[in-house]
Amino acid sequence: MNALLQAELLKLRTTRTFVALTGIAVGTSVLIAALVAILTEPTRDSVLTDVFASDTSSFLILVLAVVGISGEWRHHTITSSLLAAPDRLRFLGAKSIAFAAAGLVLSVLTATVVAVVGALVLSVRDLPLPALAELLAQVGRNAVLAALLGAFGVAIGALLRNQIAAVVSLLVLSFVVEPLVLALAPHVGRFGPLGALSVSAAGLPPEAAGIPEDVDLVGVLPAMGLLLVWIGAAFAIAALLLQHRDLE
Amino acid sequence: MPADKATRTVASMQTAIEIKGLSKRFGAVEAVSDLDFTVATGRVTGFLGPNGAGKTTTLRMLLGLINPDRGTATFAGRTYRQLAHASAHVGAVLEHASFHPGRTGRNHLRVLAAAGGHPPERVDDVLDQVDLTDRADRRVKGYSMGMRQRLAIAAALLGDPQVLILDEPTNGLDPPGIRWVRDLVQAQARRGRAVLISSHLLFEVAQSVDDVVVIADGVLRADGPLDQVLGGGDEVTLVRTASSQALGDLLDKEGLAVTPDGDDTLLVAGAAPALVGAVAAEHGVALTELRAQTRSLEDAFLTLTGDRP
Repeated sequence: MNALLQAELLKLRTTRTFVALTGIAVGTSVLIAALVAILTEPTRDSVLTDVFASDTSSFLILVLAVVGISGEWRHHTITSSLLAAPDRLRFLGAKSIAFAAAGLVLSVLTATVVAVVGALVLSVRDLPLPALAELLAQVGRNAVLAALLGAFGVAIGALLRNQIAAVVSLLVLSFVVEPLVLALAPHVGRFGPLGALSVSAAGLPPEAAGIPEDVDLVGVLPAMGLLLVWIGAAFAIAALLLQHRDLE
Repeated sequence: MPADKATRTVASMQTAIEIKGLSKRFGAVEAVSDLDFTVATGRVTGFLGPNGAGKTTTLRMLLGLINPDRGTATFAGRTYRQLAHASAHVGAVLEHASFHPGRTGRNHLRVLAAAGGHPPERVDDVLDQVDLTDRADRRVKGYSMGMRQRLAIAAALLGDPQVLILDEPTNGLDPPGIRWVRDLVQAQARRGRAVLISSHLLFEVAQSVDDVVVIADGVLRADGPLDQVLGGGDEVTLVRTASSQALGDLLDKEGLAVTPDGDDTLLVAGAAPALVGAVAAEHGVALTELRAQTRSLEDAFLTLTGDRP
């Protein structure tokens, strides 16, 4: 597994997509944090979620993971990958772990840059800063969420295979289906993995993510546990399909 | 040559690959049907057949990429997926070699070396072996067809495998490239490695193979040493008669392999003109021509695959 994991991490590092998405994640997160810090007057109570929770890396690692695994089919590199190491379950497992690790690193990197820029702007404006322990806890929650979504993206991409269909499905699920379910049936929608559960796992208040205040979000740890259930289910189906799929 | 006799000949050497009763259907199409053959170590085996004969499907089943409906395809008794260190035992180049276009040739090999558990220094070794060292740091999307094929072969050689499988490796190569592949496979065989090389063009592999396996429509047509299966020296008699149908039936009853060659001509394999003439005379069939004919390799191949015009 270690060799496969090394190979998957090397795959990530040796294409421009990962570098580009890292740049986008850091850039957009810093831009949001800087604009909020410059244009609003965050209070001691709201500064953590207003300025320091602006981390786009979890969504971008999800997209990157979907692109990464579906790209194996698009470029037919799935063939050479499975010739080098034919155990399909281990291949999928290694890829999931690699994208989880990438999500973790990307999120911590983004959070660090956001923290530096946010603290600088707020200090210059003489506005309150969050306590270090609170900030570190937020960084930790965001990093875990990014890791979970990285693994989830691999399972989604392995299920759909067609790169364009996979990315479009992801966007539709994130921005249309889950918000719609949340609006029409909040008791069901709060278990949606890409919307409500991600917000819950990051420890954000519903209104910070545009979710109606009356939606009863689950706690941080239950949300992470439920995300693991989603990942496990998607991974199991993807693994089952991959095991029996002919690679023509 | 009968397939069973040829199989015995090859099986007397050490068997590297064994295909037994292999079958695969895609919807209504029977891509491969009850295929049996073996590949011996230290020899180059040509896997020949026209396009769509089932060669690639067979190789993909052998490599664990396609699940067979029936039968087995094994390396020393184990399927590819069962091999402990698969890419160190078997190296493969498949048709439509696959690369991420944005990755450099060297990084492509680094990824595969890591996945296969091969030492990183093997990357430089195989790049040198396929003469790609000076272009290894260019992105694959800028590679020519020949360079891609060399890179695919380099990937197959990473584990210094005992068995090399090449699916149409000369596709898109120029004559020097074809010669390079030929030299490579012969060098591998001289090192005691088993090489299975597929092609739909006999002339591209005829100079480099020791044994051949011929399939068409997913069915084994013949296998064994090249000179026995497609031997240009095989005795073939051309006989021309207005009663070709009747004579064909008579020769068939005598156990001779008869192939129609036009309306009034028959080609009889493995029989001298005297024998064919005697059968015709015995049954009062008038002949207009009777002579020995040496088959070319290509003729024999096309006859076996049913593509002879």
